[in-house]
Amino acid sequence: MSSSKFTLSRRKFLAATAAIPAIGLAPGLIRSARASGPVKLQFMYPVGVSGDINRIVSGMVADFNAQHPGIEVEAIYAGSYDNTEQKVITSLGINEPPSLWLPINSALQTFLGLDALEDITDLAKADDIYDDFLPGFLNTCISDDRLYGLPFQPSTPVLYYNKDAFKAAGINKAPDTWDELFEVAKAVTLRENGELKRWGLTIGGGWHDWMFECYCRQNELVPWQKDKVLFDRPEAVEALTFWKQMVDGGVMPPASTWQGSANDFLAGHTAMLYHSTGSLTNLRTSASFEVGVAFMPKNKTYGAAQGGGPLMIAKNQSDEKKEASWTFARWMTNTENQAKWSRATGYLAVRKSAWAAPEMQSYLAEVPAAKVALDQSQYAGAFLQVPGYHRVREHLKSALDRTLAGEIEAAAALTEANNNSNREIQRVMRRQQS
Amino acid sequence: MSHSFAQVWRKEVLLAYALLLPSAVFLAVFTYWPILRSFWFSLHDVMLGDSRIFWLGAENYLRLLDDGLFWKVLGNTAFYTLTTIPLSITVALLLAVALDSKLRGMSIYRSAFFYPVMIPSVAAGMVWVFLYAPGYGPINSALEFLGLPRLDWLYDSAWALPAIVLMSIWKYSGYFMLILLAALKLVPSDLYEAARLDGVGPVSRLLHITVPLISPTLYFVIVIGLLHSYQIFDYVYVMTQGGPADSTNVLTFYIYQNGFQYQDIGYASTIANTLLVFVLGLIGLVALTLGRRVHYMGER
Repeated sequence: MSSSKFTLSRRKFLAATAAIPAIGLAPGLIRSARASGPVKLQFMYPVGVSGDINRIVSGMVADFNAQHPGIEVEAIYAGSYDNTEQKVITSLGINEPPSLWLPINSALQTFLGLDALEDITDLAKADDIYDDFLPGFLNTCISDDRLYGLPFQPSTPVLYYNKDAFKAAGINKAPDTWDELFEVAKAVTLRENGELKRWGLTIGGGWHDWMFECYCRQNELVPWQKDKVLFDRPEAVEALTFWKQMVDGGVMPPASTWQGSANDFLAGHTAMLYHSTGSLTNLRTSASFEVGVAFMPKNKTYGAAQGGGPLMIAKNQSDEKKEASWTFARWMTNTENQAKWSRATGYLAVRKSAWAAPEMQSYLAEVPAAKVALDQSQYAGAFLQVPGYHRVREHLKSALDRTLAGEIEAAAALTEANNNSNREIQRVMRRQQS
Repeated sequence: MSHSFAQVWRKEVLLAYALLLPSAVFLAVFTYWPILRSFWFSLHDVMLGDSRIFWLGAENYLRLLDDGLFWKVLGNTAFYTLTTIPLSITVALLLAVALDSKLRGMSIYRSAFFYPVMIPSVAAGMVWVFLYAPGYGPINSALEFLGLPRLDWLYDSAWALPAIVLMSIWKYSGYFMLILLAALKLVPSDLYEAARLDGVGPVSRLLHITVPLISPTLYFVIVIGLLHSYQIFDYVYVMTQGGPADSTNVLTFYIYQNGFQYQDIGYASTIANTLLVFVLGLIGLVALTLGRRVHYMGER
């Protein structure tokens, strides 16, 4: 009995050994079989705002796959923008990037520095991209007159406000200047027996460096150039000092988080909120009160920094995959899908034709708030497109946080962030030049 | 005869090496090689996602001296270590002594206090984010009920790190307790009886009998705790991302930020090497001070 078992297993062993060379050939067989199947693309995307974005994107990708039998896109949800960019960079490090990804537009120089992006200028020119995309959005993907991405979900921050809280305080319109903002924030902050019940204003944490650039732009300062940042300018110091005054005045928390601040607004813990327009549909439909949407108040001028991300296509992949990637990026940004995506989220549609589409027109008639960020975007420019962007924004966020926590003066913090950032930009550029 | 002894001996040595080989290969590939490589990287400009590397010499190390955040991070890590280890071991010791009895139902208490150790750290972190929530968190409700002021906890740069320390004590005490409990079982009970007959109080018994006799285990727990506390990453990642105002940024998180968020692998390696030297130095220090005072029940 036991000996027959032994011979059996020995036979199996021998058979297995004999099969090894055949298994070694199998990858070749599999590859040739795949060539006739659909082109497989990986697409990494983040969720950058508040709402059920993940489900919406997966739905769009499923629709695309159903309509394109020759292409199969695998949608990979990769966390926040930062997480997504990290995953892509890590996979670039081992020469296996996804076919497409959706980073924040500010990461353009970072990916160009890694020679990771397919130049799609000629494809776009042969198509209607340059005619139909809103130029402000397209500009966020252009470096030295070449195009490296198709804007997909551009945004600016907007001011959301709780109309019920405003009414209770006897206020009937959104603040239009910084001074009015402070006054209104005081009026709608709610304390009972010294205990805080509702903040007047919350600036969405985690992306408050983005909001801060908006404040600089409202002070007529673009706080960066191609090869340096200008955080130490008086316009920037004035903006941060104004934030600090609001914190000291007890109307604004010194720190918050990105998703947490949106939830606080929905829960009535803050009466006003600076957040991305991409959160619009979720905030509007989830709130138990009426949500107002307004321009970010101005100081010297209105101003905003363009957030949100483009679809970028990997350079290091086969032509067949590049072609399929273009088809996918083109489809995600076509008129119909952009109109649909914009309504579902609050992100700005990238095409003029999408805004002109009848279903978009009737939507805007019903929800005028959806147009606020579009109108505001005429005052907007790209956000912090410098080399070494990830560390630079950490330096800036640290300066903002420490100032609001009362650990350091605004001017000293911004000077330090400025010097550290410029050193980082120099370091990255030295690398790129050698 | 002697010839055959040498043969047997050689055979045994060969066998020993053969048995050691797998773990030696693993150590070499996954521990020693990365350490050497990270030292090599620390002398270069290395960027994640880019295969080119450039010689820098000591530049990364000089940057460290000038990096205010690095020193803050080092201070945060030291604060975390110096609070978490003594507090969690004290709690663990008291729990172990309290639970070292043959009363009914003790095993239920033991399991209850050990339970936090079994919760995955990310899940535990998420739960504590909820517990600490300023508006609706149960901890603030409890404080309010007791007439104490509410705190902003993770949103307040003064309280965020203590909040993580508090949670770590909750998480680790049970683990240390279990190890100390095993050690307590080995303390001869006649010593306690003799002391009790001589009228020695419980505090003196704890300090003069229990602590010296379980000192080898305490020493082990301190070293393990030290290693744990320098590796803290998950709570910071889940609960605060190093904020607010860098108040909870610790060394491992800072290494991660530099390496993976800023792609600066060279600088991340520099910090990692500094951390290695630091931990080795600290453990050496502990071995030379506390280690000398360990009492090995006549086995010395």
